[in-house]
Amino acid sequence: MTKRRIIGAVSFALAASVLAAACGGGSDSGGGDGEAKKGGTIRILTSGEQIAHLDPQRNYTGSDLAFAGTTMHRSLTSYKYEEGDAGSEIAGDLATDTGTASNEGKTWAFTLRDGITFEDGSAITCADVAYGVSRSFATDVITDGPTYAISYIDVADYPGPYTATAEQQAAYDKAVACEGNTITFNLKNPVADFNYTTTLLTFSPVPKAKDNGEKYDMNPVSSGPYKIESYEVGKSLVLVRNENWNADSDELRKAYADSIVYEFGLEEATIDERMIADAGDDQFAVSEGIQPENLQTIFENGDEALKARSVDYYDPYVSYTNLNNENLSCYEVRKAIYLALDREALRKAGGGPYTGDFADGFVKPALALDYAKSTMPEGYNTDGSANVEAAKAAVAEAETKCPDVVARAKSGLNFYYPDTPTWQKSLAIWQDNLGAIGFKLKPEAVEPSQYWPTVMNPETDYDIARGGWAPDWANASTVIPELFTTGGGFNLTRNSKDADYAEFEGLVNAAKVNLDRVAQGKQWQELNQYVVDRLWALPGSFLKAQSIWGSKVGNTFQWGPFGAFCFGNLYVK
Amino acid sequence: MSATFTDTATLASDGTVGVVIEGKSPRQLAWMRFRRDKFALAAAGVILFYIFAAAFAPVICAVLGISPYELDGDALNDFGLPKGAFGGISSEHWLGVEPGTGRDILARLLYGARVSLLVGFLGTLLTTTIGVMIGIFAGYRRGKVDAVVGRFMDLTLAFPSFLLIIALTRPFTQRLESLGVPEGNPARLTYIVLVLATFGWVYVARVVRGQTLSLREREFVEAARASGAGTGHIVFKQLLPNLWAPVIVIVSLSLPGYVATESTLSFLGLGMLPPAASWGVMLGDSVKYYRADPTYLFIPGVALIVLVLAFNILGDAVRDALDPKADRQTL
Repeated sequence: MTKRRIIGAVSFALAASVLAAACGGGSDSGGGDGEAKKGGTIRILTSGEQIAHLDPQRNYTGSDLAFAGTTMHRSLTSYKYEEGDAGSEIAGDLATDTGTASNEGKTWAFTLRDGITFEDGSAITCADVAYGVSRSFATDVITDGPTYAISYIDVADYPGPYTATAEQQAAYDKAVACEGNTITFNLKNPVADFNYTTTLLTFSPVPKAKDNGEKYDMNPVSSGPYKIESYEVGKSLVLVRNENWNADSDELRKAYADSIVYEFGLEEATIDERMIADAGDDQFAVSEGIQPENLQTIFENGDEALKARSVDYYDPYVSYTNLNNENLSCYEVRKAIYLALDREALRKAGGGPYTGDFADGFVKPALALDYAKSTMPEGYNTDGSANVEAAKAAVAEAETKCPDVVARAKSGLNFYYPDTPTWQKSLAIWQDNLGAIGFKLKPEAVEPSQYWPTVMNPETDYDIARGGWAPDWANASTVIPELFTTGGGFNLTRNSKDADYAEFEGLVNAAKVNLDRVAQGKQWQELNQYVVDRLWALPGSFLKAQSIWGSKVGNTFQWGPFGAFCFGNLYVK
Repeated sequence: MSATFTDTATLASDGTVGVVIEGKSPRQLAWMRFRRDKFALAAAGVILFYIFAAAFAPVICAVLGISPYELDGDALNDFGLPKGAFGGISSEHWLGVEPGTGRDILARLLYGARVSLLVGFLGTLLTTTIGVMIGIFAGYRRGKVDAVVGRFMDLTLAFPSFLLIIALTRPFTQRLESLGVPEGNPARLTYIVLVLATFGWVYVARVVRGQTLSLREREFVEAARASGAGTGHIVFKQLLPNLWAPVIVIVSLSLPGYVATESTLSFLGLGMLPPAASWGVMLGDSVKYYRADPTYLFIPGVALIVLVLAFNILGDAVRDALDPKADRQTL
């Protein structure tokens, strides 16, 4: 659930990675033109100051996972490096296959390949993988990473390798056992798709001798085809070939380019400009999205050459609005807010339909088993327009039911937003829309890079905050529990005091351990509806994204699970 | 017969040229010189126009039927960009609409002018008052006082003020709010003006101090002192009137600087909060659209350039007019 960089319009997707199925790649962006060949330098242009985390156990956003996973860090399993639906299938990476489940899905075993090595040439052992996973338990040092290992692996009160007592370490070594080349995970509850969990870089090996805790972020040891030559925050990251990577041990990584250069700290407008101009080294560059104000130029101005090296697709993210249910403890008030919103105007402020489709919940249709059309609140306009009448009726109802909450809304709701021009416009629309039903906002502008830390701080008294999420793999078990239960990594709704919360949590826990995937899907559908019925959060959009690449870059498909390039397999034409 | 001292020559009835020598105060002379400068008059006209437009922004908007806050989604295409050429300029929206929201740019420009000019005038008023007081004090007392004040001015000048402004915006506005300044834009505005005053007075004070140092040795001051005039009389009656010329010049040059500073701060997201309009906010937003909607960038940019230019021209003209030695060629 790490934060995804706050870019331009809507991408408040608190990130995670994966979603199976379908990236919409309409254009033929694959390597159709000419054979892939070795050599050259691929460039990646970004406005970020650095990779959020290059430490495998802390790496979490879709784009970062796609980058680090395909270049430096191998995990036990991996999504296939393929375009379209095939890209959502998994394959063994460090492991010979996708793992073997036993004990009704409570025990998972993976056998490591021969010939797998770190960048210094030493062999990667089972102990290195177990050590890597153990690091993710030390959440005070190894921050921002996925917490699935902690919630799944059957070990209690294990604080990570740095501070564990001998007994605690022994307990962990029992839960994550090594026997020769085979690593076995003993889980608390059955997890039918644990081998999807192991695609996360949480399950990457780390050599204990080289682990320097927090600082490992800047100089992690590579197990993939590239290693760090230089890494300067705010400037660049240069990856060069790792001569000790054994191509025979790796069925996924093609490692075409001789080096990969990440350029940090560029202005977003500059990036678009350079990508559109396609001059010099920028012909070998890819960027991380297109600013909304440039979409028309690229997609609708009739420049076919430009259009041919760009794509408009559905990424794995869903945007929504978090309401603080402790302050807004009254359904009618939440409903009034939702119905009063002119979602079409908000979408236009962010770039129009290219930003996405109006969402009817928190699970994207691409999660086919877990998605069902939701019944929206009465008075909800599917065209995105506001329904002021219905909203006013809800306020009138609330006046009798919960006058204190209405009074709060009328005196001013704390609206936390990232201080960017686009959000300033969205705020103006929110103020206008809520003003129409007599509600007021107290805007709190937050420095964009501090936005997630601010709203995730339990002390922060927001009423309304942004939200965005993508599933970590093709199961809504990585969505509904994460967003709406107290144990979830990104629950900003503060819904635990809601009268229905206990019932909800019970249903979630039941769904989590259901091994019948189809029946489980049904449960997630119902739970998604459960949340929509209570409007703990307000569905926003099923997001789309756009990408552009230089004219001399090949293999530029958007990788479905991550909504990003398959960076390591890009090649120079 | 020479007409050097007057420009009013009259033809007497007997056919001889008679010259009436009129006495003119320095102020009248300055006004005369100023009036001859066509550029200066135009600049003054432009500034008056801006002030008028800012002051009557609500009236103008009401007459034209526009509002700086009203959203107009119908004026935008699917990308959230203005429909039609030149940023959606139409009979309804004279200067087009803002991308993303469809708010009227003319209305936002008018309301933005209020912020810009308010900051400019308040900032100038404060810096000038503080600067003149400290400058006279240091210059008149000389000696140790002057040395201490001088070092303090050096220190202030050496301060990386802009970085400080950026770093302190949030904590300081919060402090102001806790002290009872209304939350939001009043606090931001107060902060900007205070910051401008904190670092801006030095420039005024240095000039005033220098002038005071030389003036206090002049004969008329010595004469006043010899006839037993007190410090108050000397400062207010003898020194101050002679200081107005340089002060007015600094004012006319620093005012556009303050307007630009407000824009810069808003541009950096440290100025006015939305949905309030400010030129800096508009400029900051519009640079993104220079490819998709260049008109949007052009309009607030030109408005700012014209205002700053007008102040600079006016400042130059006032200096020339007040300085009898200046012999500038006017077109």
